[in-house]
Order: sequence, then C-alpha cells, then structure tokens
Amino acid sequence: MNTKNKIVLLLSILLLVAGLYMYYGIYNRSYKNIETISAEVKISSTELVSSFMMNEKFANSIYRGKIIEVDGVLKEVTFLNNRNTVLLYSDNKYSSVLCDMQANQIEEVKKLKKGQKVKIKGVCKGFLKDAILLHCMLTNTQIDE
Amino acid sequence: MNKIIVLLFLLTNFADFDVKSDQFITRQGQVSFFSYTSVENIEAKNNQVLSIIDLSKNEIAVSMLMNAFIFKKSLMHEHFNESYIESDLYPKATFEGRIVDFDPLATGAQTKMIQGALTIHGITKEIEIKTTIQDMNGSYLLTGDFEVAVKDFDIKIPPILAPNIAKIISITFRFEYRPYEK
Repeated sequence: MNTKNKIVLLLSILLLVAGLYMYYGIYNRSYKNIETISAEVKISSTELVSSFMMNEKFANSIYRGKIIEVDGVLKEVTFLNNRNTVLLYSDNKYSSVLCDMQANQIEEVKKLKKGQKVKIKGVCKGFLKDAILLHCMLTNTQIDE
Repeated sequence: MNKIIVLLFLLTNFADFDVKSDQFITRQGQVSFFSYTSVENIEAKNNQVLSIIDLSKNEIAVSMLMNAFIFKKSLMHEHFNESYIESDLYPKATFEGRIVDFDPLATGAQTKMIQGALTIHGITKEIEIKTTIQDMNGSYLLTGDFEVAVKDFDIKIPPILAPNIAKIISITFRFEYRPYEK
C-alpha cells in the first residue's frame, strides 16, 4: 500500500466517523428550545381563535407548525396530568387558546391570576375546540404594566 | 292568553333547572402509544386530546391532533408526522362510538365496552375498547387501553426501519371530564 492509498483510507475512515457522529447527534436531538427563536407571528388570542373558527384550513396554512406569540387574558390555569396548562379567553365562550407550558415555566405559571394579561410564545399545532400551542413560555412576566 | 304567557315564562325560565347537563367534556385528555421491539422502544404522549361524552345517548366522541404527540426524540416526531401519519394530509385522529350498557346510577367504577369507529391516517376501522368509567362527584374519569395494527391504517414503514417499529401498537388513554356548560 502506498502513501496515497493510506491517506485516502484514513480520510474515508475519518469521514465515516464524523458522519456517524453527526447522525447520532441528529438522531438523539430533543425538541428545539424556542427560547432562543423569535416568534414568526404575533397575534391576540381572540383573533387566533376566530381565524381558526372562520376557516380552519386557511388558519392552519398560516399558523400550524409555526412559533407564534399570543397575547390575551388568562382564563384558567390547570395542572392536570402533571402538565402546566394556561388557557386564554377568546370571543367564543366554548373556545380558548390552550397553551402547554414548558416544565421550566412552572414557578411563573403558579403566580398567574385569572383575568391577568399575558403574552405566551409557543408552537401552534392546530385547532380542536381550542387553538393548541405546545412548548410554551411566558414572554412578558417581567414587564407588568 | 295570559295563561299561555305565564306558561311560556315558566318554561323558558325553569327549563334550565330541570335539564341536568348530560354532556361532559375534556380538552386535556391524555393518549399515549407504545411500540416495543427488540431494537428500540418508542413512546409518545398527547395531553391535549378533546373528548365529549353525552350520557343521555351514551355517546362518546374523541379528536386529537397527530402533531401534538410528544416523543423523546424530535427525529421520531418528524418521522411520525412526515412519513408515517402524514399529518399535513391527515392532521387529526378521531373516534366516535357508543358506551354499551352504561349505568348512570352506578356509583364508583364500572367496566364497559365502547363500540365505535376509529379514524387514523384517513382510514376508518370499527373497534371495541374496554374502558373503566369512574363517577367522581358528578364528573367522570374514563381510562383504558387497546391495540391497533399498523397495517390496518395503511401506514407505510420503509423496510430498513421495519425492525424498529412494532406491528401492533398499544394505546392507553385517560380522560378526566367535567360538566359541559351550555
């Protein structure tokens, strides 16, 4: 084996190792942390719900899978099934924006009061009876007006 | 004439008191599924499942967003939504059924069968699910588990990944209802 072949062999092994390493990195990756990503859309909770109720398909094409920031009035906080969930009012009595909060938000979530104005950033997943946002975090708790 | 007005007044005002709500709702039902193989175990959970039961007709309806299932790894989430379930085309899974022989007067827990139609990936199958119904002070908790075959729902898994994904997926659910105010 001459030197040239050795170098080629060594390089291809290196490439393979690097490839495997990257593959495992991607494979084991957990969900994106939305903290560092800014919202693509900013909207009020009433507008978000009414846009889904008016035309779900169209609303999905705008909001589904996107990181959005919703501002609204707090309707309810629940801790069902060990999740921290925040619901925001809409114009419709039976619908709301349902935000599944990240685990690190629990201390802030506990302090929230019904009727309070909040801003929440999360990934919009779609609409059932409520607009559903996952991986949510509060974005305005410090700036109380 | 006056009597009719009085009667109407009574009817419209007191009708609400007579009719006890028979509908119960959960917006945060929990559905999990598991795939066990010798290669790897895959587990996902959806905590935002919508369900309404109507106990005057013993009917149950369930709807969930497929992209709201959370996996341990985001790549599993991607594969599930983009390749297997195709959640852009079929964003929801639904179930509509009937609770057989539900006894509204029974206190505590009762185990009943639910018969109905399960729709996943645009394909509808008739299934039977055993559920435990617990009366909790005028509200209800439904729990249970069942199994579905991947091939029944026309879900295509590439041969290279076939060993990683079970042929039969087990599903568990937990729905904590509350009265649905009209």
